[in-house]
Amino acid sequence: MRKTTVLSTIASSVLLALAGHAMAAKMPAGTQLAAKQELIRNNGSEPESLDPALAESVGANNLTRDLFEGLTATDADGKVVPGVAESWKQTDPTTWVFKLRKNAKWSNGTPVVAADFVYGWQRFLDPKTASPYASTYGVFVLNGLEVSEGKKPVSAVGIRAVDPYTVEVKTPYPVSFLPDVVSNLNLGPVNKAAVDKFGKDWTKPGKLVSNGAFMLKDWQVNSKVVIEKNPQYWDKGNVQLGKVTYLPVEDGFADVKLYQSGENDWVYQLPPATYEKYKKEMPKDIRNAPMLGLRYYSFNNKDALMKDKRVRQALSMVIDRDLLAQKITADGQVPAYGVIVRGVSGADVTAYEWSKWPMAKRVEEAKKLLAAAGVKPGAKVKFTYNTSEYHKKMALFAASEWKSKLGLDTEMESMEFKVLLKKRHDGDFQIARNGWVADYNDATTFLTLVQCGSDQNDNGNCNQKAEELIKQGNQSTDPAKRKQLLTQAAKLVMDDYPMLPLLQYTVPRLVKPYVGGYSTKNPMDRYRSKDLYIIKH
Amino acid sequence: MWSYTFRRVLMTIPTLLAVITVCYLLLHLTPGGPFDSERKVSAAVLANLQAKYHLDLPLWQQYLYYLKSLLQGDLGASFRYADWSVNDLVAKALPVSATIGGLSLLLSLLIGVTLGTFAALRQNSAVDYLVMLLGNIGSVVPSFVMGPVLILIFAIWLPWLPAGGWMDFDVRYMLLPMALLTFINVSTIGRVMRGSLIEVMSSNFIRTARAKGLPTRTIVLRHAFKPALMPVVSVLGPLAISSITAAIVTESVFSLPGIGKLIVNGAANRDYTLVLGLVVLITVLTVLINLLVDLAYAWLDPKIRY
Repeated sequence: MRKTTVLSTIASSVLLALAGHAMAAKMPAGTQLAAKQELIRNNGSEPESLDPALAESVGANNLTRDLFEGLTATDADGKVVPGVAESWKQTDPTTWVFKLRKNAKWSNGTPVVAADFVYGWQRFLDPKTASPYASTYGVFVLNGLEVSEGKKPVSAVGIRAVDPYTVEVKTPYPVSFLPDVVSNLNLGPVNKAAVDKFGKDWTKPGKLVSNGAFMLKDWQVNSKVVIEKNPQYWDKGNVQLGKVTYLPVEDGFADVKLYQSGENDWVYQLPPATYEKYKKEMPKDIRNAPMLGLRYYSFNNKDALMKDKRVRQALSMVIDRDLLAQKITADGQVPAYGVIVRGVSGADVTAYEWSKWPMAKRVEEAKKLLAAAGVKPGAKVKFTYNTSEYHKKMALFAASEWKSKLGLDTEMESMEFKVLLKKRHDGDFQIARNGWVADYNDATTFLTLVQCGSDQNDNGNCNQKAEELIKQGNQSTDPAKRKQLLTQAAKLVMDDYPMLPLLQYTVPRLVKPYVGGYSTKNPMDRYRSKDLYIIKH
Repeated sequence: MWSYTFRRVLMTIPTLLAVITVCYLLLHLTPGGPFDSERKVSAAVLANLQAKYHLDLPLWQQYLYYLKSLLQGDLGASFRYADWSVNDLVAKALPVSATIGGLSLLLSLLIGVTLGTFAALRQNSAVDYLVMLLGNIGSVVPSFVMGPVLILIFAIWLPWLPAGGWMDFDVRYMLLPMALLTFINVSTIGRVMRGSLIEVMSSNFIRTARAKGLPTRTIVLRHAFKPALMPVVSVLGPLAISSITAAIVTESVFSLPGIGKLIVNGAANRDYTLVLGLVVLITVLTVLINLLVDLAYAWLDPKIRY
């Protein structure tokens, strides 16, 4: 009974939310648009692919988000809004039904139908496609994981076209945040005719058939990707930009120079240690907001020294996150004391009790813990990080905290990024730099960092009780209860000190004041060009 | 000479094979693979990826597979840029690097030889000191400093030229990177030309020419110039090759879509096929450039015959 009530509440709230028209560029009243609606935004790197099944990096996903549209989408504030599906409801705990709009079309004019989603999902999970994200999203679809591992045929994927305009999705357990997950274009529709006709070349200009607000005009590797407004798009009336040029500039300083010389309207991310400078010099251009990402250090819980919880706790307690955020990184990041960061749905932020203590008390307690563990001042810890001025600065700060407050010596080991990844994945480290950015807005994406046997758990820790709570939470159809269980699990697992949370990411960047529609309340840092416009200037 | 050229071209094959084999082994020995990323892929997904790119085969089979594709002119599929083959990537990047590198080398040769000649003929004069000063600046100031300074002056303070990027061989986008590369190369060529010409001008046959009453202009152009060019030609080979390696910095500073950028990204991403493809390209270019330099010796010095 209770289950039915909760489900119908969710369904009705979703329908209520959808009662209004799908929102596109939200313009304040009286906004005067520029005659030329063209935007140049730096994308930080060359997209590895424009195939929605293969897109992995932030840059590639920025592009597929403009070129394609999934069942749902996320707007400038990160809220889930209708995409090709105009409404959806959870008909039972593990079944969702999405009703597609009838006026959605591919860029070649043919209608977007349920079969396009079925094909897109099957192709994404097919082992032959070898999508790096197959297991990340495969877990949310019935048989998704088994299909991606080649244990079941692609036809077993839990998606079905009930009729041309109805998609039914089965999940292996109740996934309350499925509408958020399906906004990711890895789970978008794919035009089978285009793939069959052009094969591997189907993503090239002149061949790519897409269903998003924009279509591919030009793609010069390592130079630019140009997209233009898609005249076939169902909501074209709400798309202001006529043309968007994505640049693949990796060097932060080169990016800023292009911005200053007027050849770029959007700096991907400011180079380290420049935020305060540009905040003073260009107060109207600077944008900075926390996003769903966590900077942390992994403790190797299987290492001879680090396997002692008291040592891990002592090392975590003495790091002054406020000082780190304000003086060392100085780019607006937020101190973190747990695995769940601010703004994540599905669990509350938890913090250690000692985070509110004065530092002297923290140090005193930490010293006691170390003494109890038999670690004497002068003992050595080894810190491994990838070569970068930014990470080096943070590592030096941590080492000085451990030295000045606990008397520990830190051996610093810097290496190339891929070498660090290999060492971390192989457990060949004592303390290592780490970081995580959410794939979807739910606590479970962060919990994968500390779950038993998870691919993302570099610490090698396992808390069976927390595992059980996460399992219970995921089985629950009551969002409040699920949130409570996941919060409890996050707290429990972090009480083991498997890792050292440091800061919540921000993305400091410059955006021209005439670019409208940019919101600093976008926790996933995902901006559809559909929501942006150029103000008269 | 034709048989010499033919033999030299034939020699490329074992050189290429040795370079490929060493690089192939080094790449596979380097820790971290193409599919290691911050978000670790599951064992099943890794197996799918390795199967897709034949990395599940024993190393020697992968190597033979690569050589077989290479014989058919196929440099393989890029591991990182899934939508492009290495042939596509190289075909798009090479014209950019070749245009900027080639034109700047040509310009440097013209300017460097001219400046070097003037400096040598007016040794210890103001012109000489100026040329030497420019030469030294070009040698000691690294391109990652000089590049941003050029951008600051010509793209931000005086907004005459774009700060970077590439627009279908639009000359405006080529000027700053070409200026940077030219400046660096001129410093080398100018210094070598100056030193070489000073030496030639003090040799006996020039003294004889002077004694015959020939005007300086004729002495320089007809008698001294050709032998003085020999050391310049010697440095041209390495300079041409270093235009490609210098491009690693230049292309990053000016955001150019050339070979340098591919090399950096290929190595960082452990994109084995892309790196090997570029190694093949650079090896072939090196062999060809060295051959051209050797042939140029024969033209400059009648004593050299192949």
